[in-house]
Amino acid sequence: MIMTILYYILTGYIAFLIIWNLLKSKKWQEEALYIIILIPFILRLFRLK
Amino acid sequence: MSMTTSAQIILAVMVATYIIAKALKVSTELSMLAAALAGALAGGAGIPARHIVEGAFTYLDIILIFITATLFMNILKESGGVAHVIRGILRKFHRKKSILFILITLLLLLPGALTGAGSVTVLITGGMIAVVLGYMDISKPRAAAIIFILAGLSAAAPPVSLWAMLTAAGVNMPYVGFFLPLLLPCLLLSLLVIFILGWKGKPVNLEKALKELPEAPPQMNWIRITLPFCVFLFLVLAGRIWPHSLPIVGLPMMFMASACVSLLLSPVKLNFLRISRETVHQLLPLIGTLTCVGILVQIMTLTGVRGLIAITIVTLPLIAVFLTLSIVLPASEAVLMWGAAPVLGVPLVLLFNTIGLNPIIALAGMSIIWPLGDALPPTAIIGRLTVHTVGMKGRYSQLLKHCLIPAIIIIIVGTLMVVFSKKLAFLTLL
Repeated sequence: MIMTILYYILTGYIAFLIIWNLLKSKKWQEEALYIIILIPFILRLFRLK
Repeated sequence: MSMTTSAQIILAVMVATYIIAKALKVSTELSMLAAALAGALAGGAGIPARHIVEGAFTYLDIILIFITATLFMNILKESGGVAHVIRGILRKFHRKKSILFILITLLLLLPGALTGAGSVTVLITGGMIAVVLGYMDISKPRAAAIIFILAGLSAAAPPVSLWAMLTAAGVNMPYVGFFLPLLLPCLLLSLLVIFILGWKGKPVNLEKALKELPEAPPQMNWIRITLPFCVFLFLVLAGRIWPHSLPIVGLPMMFMASACVSLLLSPVKLNFLRISRETVHQLLPLIGTLTCVGILVQIMTLTGVRGLIAITIVTLPLIAVFLTLSIVLPASEAVLMWGAAPVLGVPLVLLFNTIGLNPIIALAGMSIIWPLGDALPPTAIIGRLTVHTVGMKGRYSQLLKHCLIPAIIIIIVGTLMVVFSKKLAFLTLL
């Protein structure tokens, strides 16, 4: 259970970093890529998958 | 229309979309995504949201390993640990070329072996090693070739070898028994390459080299550097010694624990958030590739294209497969990067397994050939990164020229590993 919680925290932290970098990015290709890589992290975080 | 013709048309649409996207200067990752979407449309599946999500999840565990391991390496670098090690080695062994080469090899292999990414090797130790090689009178293209080849072999080296992991996952084979089959060729070939390309090197001018290398904080010492690695090793071993008493920690959390220890032991105050953000930015092309490759493979499976490729490869004459490995593997890496492993690696391993070869050794052999493609266009990500990090001026082909002999040796060793995989099966220790 503790490990599961730790992994959720790690996933949340990485999702936060991706969103931060996405907001700072000024290149459209980078932005698109950040959005794509964000998908699994967000879905996992909200326990949708 | 037969199923084969239908899959062939979809494959043609995907290839055409990829080529057009690349021609429009779209990045490799997004080009792969565009090819996947075009394939889904051509296959009559529309925009299959469920499969896109499913594909994006394929390599989430590997992505987590990637990010946490690189974060650990970046913290070690920012704390001055890497600089301390390189300066220490240089001070002690600057007159002993052979020992210096052996230690440089280990320093170049470690970051990539832990993270699975050659780019991490280039970024963490590549720049500093290039300075050392420069003061040995080794030309920049030659130094770049040494760093590129060793970075590639470091990525294939255990414990994290993405090509082996992705292919093993594709054939439902546990990632077990790969340690020695990957470690031995990677280590021996790395030593061979550095001695071949650097044998003309002179003893280092210590004073000049130390002046150019970044300073390590005065409080930095070997305990601060080795303790995080000890924590990592302890966690790996503890899980095996007490499997029923300890929870399954997993590689990402092991790397996070090591990163936290490294952060706590750092003699200089580090901004964890900044390093984390830079790590994610630094890894964007690699994480993006893994996510888009997952989507691409999922759509290829949905539309039957993956089956077409698998059937085509499995029905090829065996001698043709062996002879073309040297071209097909680096070329597929140059186009699809790690995507080459699930797309081509999976049917090849199934084929080798069917004809009685050892799939672990065969896959290890292929895994050392794949990274060579990272210097080839259209992607050439690691090659270009190496040229930039080393500060090599002149034409890119200079790097390729110096890589040629090492590449031929690696291809021969890798192919022989595949052909004689049955006889080498004892290396798996299974």
